[in-house]
Amino acid sequence: MALELTRVDYTLLGLTSPQCMKLLPSSGGKSVQKAVIGDQDGVLQVLSLKIGEIQISFKTLPGEKITRISLGGALGTVQDKIFSSSKTEVRGYTKKGKMFLSFDTSLTEHIKLMHISGSDLLVTGDHVYNHYKDCKDTSSYLSSDKISDVIALNAEKLHKLVPVLACEDRCLRVLDESQVAQTIPLDSNPTCQYLYHNNGGDSGDFLLYGTEDGSIGLLQITKCGHDVKWVIKNEKQEGGVVSMHCYDMTGDGVADLLVGRGDGLIQVYSMPTDVGEDIQPPAQRFSYTCNESVTSVQGGVLGNTGCDEIVATTYTGWFFGLTTAVVEKQVSGDSSSANSKLTNDDKLKIIKLRAEVDDLEQKVMKEREKYESATQEDSPGFSTIPFLSITDKMWLSKEDAIYQLNLEVQTAIDNVLLQSDVPVVLLDVEKNSAVVSYSSCDSSSENKLLATYRCQMNTTRLELRFRTQEGQQGTLMAYITPLVQPKCCQIRHYPIKLLSLHTRCHQFDSTRPYNVLSLKGGFSLAEMHAWISFCLPEVPEKVPLSDPAVLVFESTFVGSMLRCSYSKGEAEFQSDNICTISILKDVLTKEATKKKIKLDISSSINNESIDSLLRLLDPKIDYYSNLEKKCTLIEALKDVETHEENVAECLMPEYKEILKNQSQLRAEHSKSSGFLDRLKAFITELFLHWYKFKGINVKSRIPLLVEILDNYNFEELLSAFKQ
Amino acid sequence: MMAIPVFTLHLNYQVLPGRITIGKYDGSHCCLTAATTGDKVLIHSPHKRDKEFSLLNINQNITALCAGRLNPEEEKDILIVGTKGSLLAYHVENNSDIFYRQVPDGVNAITIGRLGLLENPLALVGGNCSIQGFDAKGNDPFWTVTGDNVRSLALLDVDGDGENELVVGSDDFELRIFKEDAIMAELTETEAITALAAFRNNRFAYALANGTVGVYDKLHRSWRVKSKNGTECLACFDLDGDGVEELVTGWSSGKVDARSSRTGEVLFRDVLSQPIAGLVCGDYSKAGTSQLIACSYSGEVRGYDSSSINKDESLQMETVRDLFAKKQALLLELKNYTSDPSSIGIPANTRLLTEISTCQSSNQHKGGHIVLALSTNNLTVIRAVTVFAEGIFNGETFVVHPRLNEVSTSLTVPLVPPKDNPLDIHIRAFVGAIPTTEQLHVFELTRQLPRFSMYMLSGPASAKTNSTLLQTSFVSFRLSERVQRIDMWVNQNFLLPHEYNMASSTVNGGGGGGAEWSICVTSLRDNAPLLMMYDAGKLTVGTENMSLAADIVQSLASYLNITQLQTYAEFPKAFDQLKDCLNRVAELQQNATKMAASVADSSNLIRSLVVQAEDARLLQCLKDMREFYTELYQVNEEMINTHTVRRNNHEQLLEALRQINLIIQQAARLRVGKPKSDIVNFSRTAIANNNINALIKIIKTGEV
Repeated sequence: MALELTRVDYTLLGLTSPQCMKLLPSSGGKSVQKAVIGDQDGVLQVLSLKIGEIQISFKTLPGEKITRISLGGALGTVQDKIFSSSKTEVRGYTKKGKMFLSFDTSLTEHIKLMHISGSDLLVTGDHVYNHYKDCKDTSSYLSSDKISDVIALNAEKLHKLVPVLACEDRCLRVLDESQVAQTIPLDSNPTCQYLYHNNGGDSGDFLLYGTEDGSIGLLQITKCGHDVKWVIKNEKQEGGVVSMHCYDMTGDGVADLLVGRGDGLIQVYSMPTDVGEDIQPPAQRFSYTCNESVTSVQGGVLGNTGCDEIVATTYTGWFFGLTTAVVEKQVSGDSSSANSKLTNDDKLKIIKLRAEVDDLEQKVMKEREKYESATQEDSPGFSTIPFLSITDKMWLSKEDAIYQLNLEVQTAIDNVLLQSDVPVVLLDVEKNSAVVSYSSCDSSSENKLLATYRCQMNTTRLELRFRTQEGQQGTLMAYITPLVQPKCCQIRHYPIKLLSLHTRCHQFDSTRPYNVLSLKGGFSLAEMHAWISFCLPEVPEKVPLSDPAVLVFESTFVGSMLRCSYSKGEAEFQSDNICTISILKDVLTKEATKKKIKLDISSSINNESIDSLLRLLDPKIDYYSNLEKKCTLIEALKDVETHEENVAECLMPEYKEILKNQSQLRAEHSKSSGFLDRLKAFITELFLHWYKFKGINVKSRIPLLVEILDNYNFEELLSAFKQ
Repeated sequence: MMAIPVFTLHLNYQVLPGRITIGKYDGSHCCLTAATTGDKVLIHSPHKRDKEFSLLNINQNITALCAGRLNPEEEKDILIVGTKGSLLAYHVENNSDIFYRQVPDGVNAITIGRLGLLENPLALVGGNCSIQGFDAKGNDPFWTVTGDNVRSLALLDVDGDGENELVVGSDDFELRIFKEDAIMAELTETEAITALAAFRNNRFAYALANGTVGVYDKLHRSWRVKSKNGTECLACFDLDGDGVEELVTGWSSGKVDARSSRTGEVLFRDVLSQPIAGLVCGDYSKAGTSQLIACSYSGEVRGYDSSSINKDESLQMETVRDLFAKKQALLLELKNYTSDPSSIGIPANTRLLTEISTCQSSNQHKGGHIVLALSTNNLTVIRAVTVFAEGIFNGETFVVHPRLNEVSTSLTVPLVPPKDNPLDIHIRAFVGAIPTTEQLHVFELTRQLPRFSMYMLSGPASAKTNSTLLQTSFVSFRLSERVQRIDMWVNQNFLLPHEYNMASSTVNGGGGGGAEWSICVTSLRDNAPLLMMYDAGKLTVGTENMSLAADIVQSLASYLNITQLQTYAEFPKAFDQLKDCLNRVAELQQNATKMAASVADSSNLIRSLVVQAEDARLLQCLKDMREFYTELYQVNEEMINTHTVRRNNHEQLLEALRQINLIIQQAARLRVGKPKSDIVNFSRTAIANNNINALIKIIKTGEV
């Protein structure tokens, strides 16, 4: 059962933050609901639609940027009180627009996230969580990693407030007062949490979560633990989850899951009715792509009475619906009167808009002239341009060890200049239509990459993918120039860490043989933390509170592990990858020397570790070498196919298989392009580092190693390391 | 808007890109014809129930394919197949060869139609620097040379005189329009021209190797767009049925899109799973009207016509969306003007100053180059600069991004244009109050580089030492023009440190129009001198480079509006090269015949060995069999070796022929008007008679 929905654009507002649009509960049945929207200009408005025309119930004056909108009310009653958070303040409005609450938390951090549950108010900044009951501070929690979402399980059903924090160390933290009651590890950073069926399910303790890498899961959180019910894995490289809502769009009596993603995708999943044992994950029923990132989705009735629709807002402020109502004109002759009325309405709307635009154009013209004359004169005037709002996000894709950088600007992008002082290989992104041009880099300059992206018309969002190399650290800079007069550009810096392909993980595999690097010296915990954060990505900004602090990393590229445990004056690094140890050793020595701190370094090499690491890589190399071989055969086999009548008779089954799966093999090959070469380069590097620790220079033996790699054989490779 | 195909089918054969055509071989039914792997031509005849597919063995790499009415007395289309050394005209209906011709220049592109006032339709064949036209009997009444390898051809009436002109796209980025054998116009593009398509109304579309497509209206470019994907093929087809043809493009990404020929706006598109190999137009569904047929590499075929377009999409919705977006952009701009004074800005009267000069060598860039110096008029700094210009960088832009501690109020950009063409360079400078500022102002400006900007004025000393050049290697012609006009031409076309004003400085020395005038410049590319002297109504251009001399003649002629010019040329280097090439061609051709004979011998040997070995196997003489196979293996190895040698030989032959064509073309470009086209014809006769001395005389004097 597929849904057919039509997009209807309602209006364009200011920039919106995630989850800043909510539909007020309806007065019953499928009557028209009202929408609450708060934008980054600080305007909170409640609006409804009357025959396609927007009616504003109330609107506040511009102020501080609104970061969240939440609906609330006493437990058990209709949740129609509007709460908005901005800066350090939380305000409450009735649906009529009367402000009944203005509460200043007087926190040092600005409020980023907020959740309302009855008379409980949960707010968080970047790291601090605070709980207020009836505006009285009751508990708080300090997280060393950034908090990306906050929610409380259904207090009505549980008779207890159970807050859940989504933290950027890939964990959900269930709190009990100021203590962590439970830590739930996830595969990727959680970005969004939502109560199952809007109320946490029958028992009130079911929680939906969405992650940075685009997967969605359902959890049951009980006192004694948690239970993962299902997970929708993201296989199509869809964007991170920004907003979720449960609403019955398919009309089968069961609420469906509406998802809004960072890459502009809106999806409807129909959820299983039962959450018992071994159930299937939800199936997708509908998807729609708009060109900008979606900031909130809601299901409800807005445009037409009785017609369900998905209401969504985007980053740049589009407020639109995907409605089940049939907007398209029937071509039959009789109903033309009703339809012409509809089109007349549209026409009126267009005429009004056009007048508005013309008016604005006049104004802009005047201002433009004024500006021009200002630049002509020898006046001492200054030309300033307000700071552009650009949202950006860079993360490492675990699957293929490739970085992804998303840029989104409030208006169309003209071009982007990328500069990097470390070698970075840009990869093609299918979705992005911008024309890339590489400029040659002079070897005497510190530029390792200079590239420009010229964007096509109306591109507000640009996705980039690139590969990095471990062992070099630097910065990638993006000069983003939007298509607006007077022309300006903003520089964004993205640090590329030394061990850029490492990512935090929860479990340390203690069964592997590890090489150990131990340091002793007069450094503080904070100093060590700073050094680690210099080398590795995803290190929390705040110094961990535990002693000794422990961070575990996994290499997304080769799968090796790294465990850093450190306290004041002492640190230990364990890794099965000798390259990692070698890089860390070099850098830590250098950094310590810079600070004139004396270090006592000792490293112990475990001879077993090389065995284990190569064994870890074996299936990967084997697979990719095979793939490469098969792909080179395709052309020749196809030639045989055209020449021979009876291919089936004369070919080996192995070759027949290749011919049969050729398109699949090709796709696989193009997807993994360069991965094999990367692996080979890594092994060469490993070879050098391994013997460096043994005090042997093996530069002359590299050609031999390359030969082994080209005709890959695990035993031979291993013996090359054991000479 | 997505277009829905009216039919889809699968050929089940791999289709080679660009080698696809459609023909009515029986005079009424359209047959899709494509080159496929294994040197075969596939003909798909949907009207033949029992035998839809037929294959033609060509046994040589097929390089071009075209079907058309070559024989004016017959209604049936003839299929022309081009390989790298030959051309075959084939009558599909009769299953017979019409003619087979050796074409040593290779066949890169074919088009069929009438050219100019020539009597019969011709199959025009573009090869390495040459274009030949064959009629239905296999005669070649048309032959001319062009600047580089031909990549694409189109026949259409460009100037609106009712006769077809030939548009030729070649590897040297030039579009040349031939009116019969005279060049009517040359248009410079930014990459090799890979495809051309003719519209009905004096327009034509082109595609470049870098993913650009565009449309020329007569000789003016109406629009162009560049995409990150490669363009594979072009077609002109009225898809929406409004009477105006759209430009349909097939992309390497598998996308097919139709654009308005006037504005370039995308009207319809569809996406296939594989890159598009070809686009043709013909009636394939027996609908009585033509369809647009797209064929992908893997042999997937889709057809479209006006019924595949759903026009009922709500246009109003789109208008509303556009208006909202416009409103938002305007509001943002307004916000930018009424700015908040707290952020850091730059003085409103900041200017970006540019200066363009020539330089032999600097720390920044070794070797001769043009220096583009940028600076601000106050203390604001230039953080980075991007220069956008086509055809002079590896990509389309060049970026200068100094280290943070080297950021200052000025910045220089080295430019090295590889060819002598006038250039527009678009500069974008990122300017801020301090080097570390997060938001910068962007200054955009455009500057022109003159045609001969890679030449530097040299001093009188160098002029004297090189003056012998005017006697040894030069082109000279009569010119009755005021010296001031020549001065103006020099100032417009060269980058000189100061205005060149020879006219006034020689007023005292000579008298009136007969004054002596001279200039000496040095090429920044190879340090070769270029001298020009005007004395007693005769202009002499001294350089060893014949192509440069030709450029100067053409530039001067167009500046001074000269329509007819005969010149005298003396380029010993080029002449030696020509002689050498001609000798080499003779030698290489001999080699080729010799080797062909030996190949024939070897293949006979192989045949007999296979039979013998098989006999031995049947007779169970395994020892003999082994011996035969060993021998067979050796002969085979040998043949592979000879093949490499033959291939090398062939490549050398091609290169030599290319050089000869190139020299003739340059010789033609040393003249203007009728003498220009005469040279090509005279040269052809001389080459046909193998008369080297006559050829050189023609190049020298322009006359037989």
